[in-house]
Amino acid sequence: MTELTLESVDRDEALLDAVSELYGSTRAGFLRGAAMGGAAMLSTLAAPPTAAAGVSDVAILNFGLRFERLQATFYTQAEELGTIASMTRAKQTWAETLGAHERAHVRIIKQVLGPKAGPAPAFDFGEANSTDAAFTRTAVAMEDLTVALLTGIVPQVHDRALTAALMGLLTVEARHAAWARHIVGTVPAPAAFDTPKSLHQVRGVLARTRFIAEQPKMTAKRRPKYTG
Amino acid sequence: MPRRPQTRRWQAVTLALLGAVAAVGVAAAAVRSPEKPAAAAGAGALPLPVAPAFVPGRPRPLGSTRHLSHWAIVKRPAIARVAPAAGAAVVAAVPTLAPEGTPSAVAVIAQRQDDGGRVWVHVRLPVLPNGTTGWVRRRALGGYEAVDTRLDVDLARLRATLYRDGRPVLRAPVGVGGPGWPTPRGEFYVRNKLTRYRSPAYGPVAFGTSARSPAATGWPAGGFVGIHGTDRPDLVPGRVSHGCIRMRNADIRALARRMPVGTPLTIH
Amino acid sequence: MTGWTRRRLLRAAAAGGAIVGGGAALTAGGGNTLLAAPSVDTDARILNFFLLLEYLQETLYRDGLEHGGLTDELAAYARTVGPQETEHAAYLVKRLGARARPRPKADFGAALSSSERFQAAAIDLEETAIAAYIGQAANLTRGAVGAVGTLLSVEARQAAWLRSLAGAPPAPRAADPARKPSDVLAHLRSQGLVS
Repeated sequence: MTELTLESVDRDEALLDAVSELYGSTRAGFLRGAAMGGAAMLSTLAAPPTAAAGVSDVAILNFGLRFERLQATFYTQAEELGTIASMTRAKQTWAETLGAHERAHVRIIKQVLGPKAGPAPAFDFGEANSTDAAFTRTAVAMEDLTVALLTGIVPQVHDRALTAALMGLLTVEARHAAWARHIVGTVPAPAAFDTPKSLHQVRGVLARTRFIAEQPKMTAKRRPKYTG
Repeated sequence: MPRRPQTRRWQAVTLALLGAVAAVGVAAAAVRSPEKPAAAAGAGALPLPVAPAFVPGRPRPLGSTRHLSHWAIVKRPAIARVAPAAGAAVVAAVPTLAPEGTPSAVAVIAQRQDDGGRVWVHVRLPVLPNGTTGWVRRRALGGYEAVDTRLDVDLARLRATLYRDGRPVLRAPVGVGGPGWPTPRGEFYVRNKLTRYRSPAYGPVAFGTSARSPAATGWPAGGFVGIHGTDRPDLVPGRVSHGCIRMRNADIRALARRMPVGTPLTIH
Repeated sequence: MTGWTRRRLLRAAAAGGAIVGGGAALTAGGGNTLLAAPSVDTDARILNFFLLLEYLQETLYRDGLEHGGLTDELAAYARTVGPQETEHAAYLVKRLGARARPRPKADFGAALSSSERFQAAAIDLEETAIAAYIGQAANLTRGAVGAVGTLLSVEARQAAWLRSLAGAPPAPRAADPARKPSDVLAHLRSQGLVS
C-alpha cells in the first residue's frame, strides 16, 4: 500500500488536520487505517444518550442537508470541471455514483424540509476536488465523516419515521466510505463498530476544512462608471 | 415555487385518503391471518418496521453540462501566465478587487495540473486586449460557482437574448456603441452588479462586464463595458453609446431578475 | 408526529421520492398501521433477532475460512470481518444478558463448495442482515438505537467491501430498504439456515 500524503494537495493544510482529527492524533493512524472504537467506546455507548430534548428534528435534518449539499457540490463540481474524467473507469463509476446519490439526498431532504430548509452555502474546495489524488483522499475522509455524523445523530432523532429514513441513508454512506477506502487500498471496515461524532464535533471538523465559504458579495451600491 | 390552491386541495384529499387507507389497513391486517411465529426467533413477537419518513428518488447522472459555465472570485492577488507552468510568461497581474469595489471575478475555462502536481485554472481576464485569457494557480481563486445562463448580444440586430439551459428566456432591444465607440466583439462575462445608485443615465441597475472599450483608454475605472438601463429609451435600439449595452429600464430589471453575476456574454 | 406536518412529507413525493406517512408501520399488505411504543422487552426481542443474524454471519465466515477454499482477497476479507461479527455477537450477548438466545446450528454446506458460492451466500446474508437492521432500528428504545447504528454502519461497510470483491456495485441504491422480520426469517428458512 502506498503511503498517502495529503500535504501537497489539501486546501491550506486545513483538511489534513481535519482528517487526522477523525482518526486520532497521529497522521500515521489515519494512514494505517487504524482500528477505532473498542471496549472503551462500547461502554460509552451503553449509557443512554443524555439531553434527549436536545436538538429538534428539523435542526438535525437541516444540518444533514447542509452536509449533503457540501458532498453533492464536491462531487458535482469535480465532474463538471473534469477531475473525474481524468480517472480510471472504475474510479469514474465510483465518483459519479456517489455524486448522484448525494444529489438525490439533497433533493429529498430539501423537499421534506420545505420552507424550513436552510439556504445553500457557498463552497470553496480549493484543490481538494481538482486532482484525482486530492479528490480521492478527501472523499474517503468525507464519507467516513458522514458515517460518524449519522451514527452520532440517529440517537437524537425524536421522530421514529425519521430514524427509519436516516438508517437507510446511514448504510448507504457507510457503503460509500467502504467503497472509497477499497479504491485507495485501505481496509474498508477498519473496526467492528464505527465511532460516532456529535454535531458539535462535525461542525468543528467542517470549520477547519474551510470548505464552507462566505458568499462573495458581487453586488455593490455604487454609481456606475462604465463607458456608458 | 408557489403552490396553487388546487395543489393544496390535492394534498388534503391525499391526506384524507392516507388516513382512510391506514384505517382499512388496520382492519384488513386483523382480518388476514397473523404473522406465523418462526420457531427459531419468534417473528410473531417482533414489531413491524416503521415506515420511513422519506425515500430518495432515483439517483440521476449529471447529464449534459453543455450549458454550464463556471466562475470564481480572485481570492489572492494572482499572476496570470500564458501556460500552466510556473516559468511561463506573464499575461497580467490579477487583483482581487474590481474597480467598483466588489471582488474581482474571472470566468473559468479549464483546469489542469502541471508536472509538479500544482493545479492551474485557465480563465478569462478583464484586461485589454479584449478576449485575453491566462492561467492562474487554483489557490488564487475562491470556490467555483456554476451558472446555466448565457447572454448573447447581436450587434447587427441590436438585440440581446438571455438563454437559460440553452433556451431563450428573455429578449430585449439594445443600444450599443456608436461610431468611434464600438462595443467590442468576443467572449466575455458579467463580473458584477451595481444597484441603489442615483444616475438616471444608467437606469435602475447596471452590470459590469469583462469587456473594455479599446477607445476609452484613460476612461475612469478602466473603461469597462456595462449593461445598464437608460433615461433615453427612445434611443434603444440604436448605435448610440460609448460602448455600453443599454436596455430600456423594464428590460434591464427583467434581466436583473434572471441573470446572475458570472454569466458568460457573447457579443457578435 | 413531533414537529412534522404531513404536508411536508407529501412534498417528498414531488422530488421523485416517496413517503409512506408518519407514525406508521408497514403491514403485511403494505398499508399502514399504528406503531407500538418501544420498550425494554421489545428491545430484547429485536436484539435477539440481530444476534441470530450475527451468529449466522460469524459461522459462515469461520466455516468459509476452514472449508471454503477462499481466494486471497476473499480470505483476507473473511479474516477481518469474521472477528467483527464475533464482536457484534458478543456485544449483543452482553447487552441481552440472560435473555440472549442460544447460538443456532447452521449448516452452510452448499455455500462452502466454492469461493463463488461462498461469496454469493455471504453477500446474501450481509444484505439480509442490513435490511433486517434497518427494519427494526426505529423500533428500539433511544438507549439501544445509538449502538446499533454504529454496528449497522459496519455491516454496510462489509457488504460494500464484499460486493467490490465480487464485481458488484457496492452501493446500488441512494437509500437502503427495510425488510420485515417475517420476510427475513422466511428467507433464512429457504436457505436452510433456520428451522
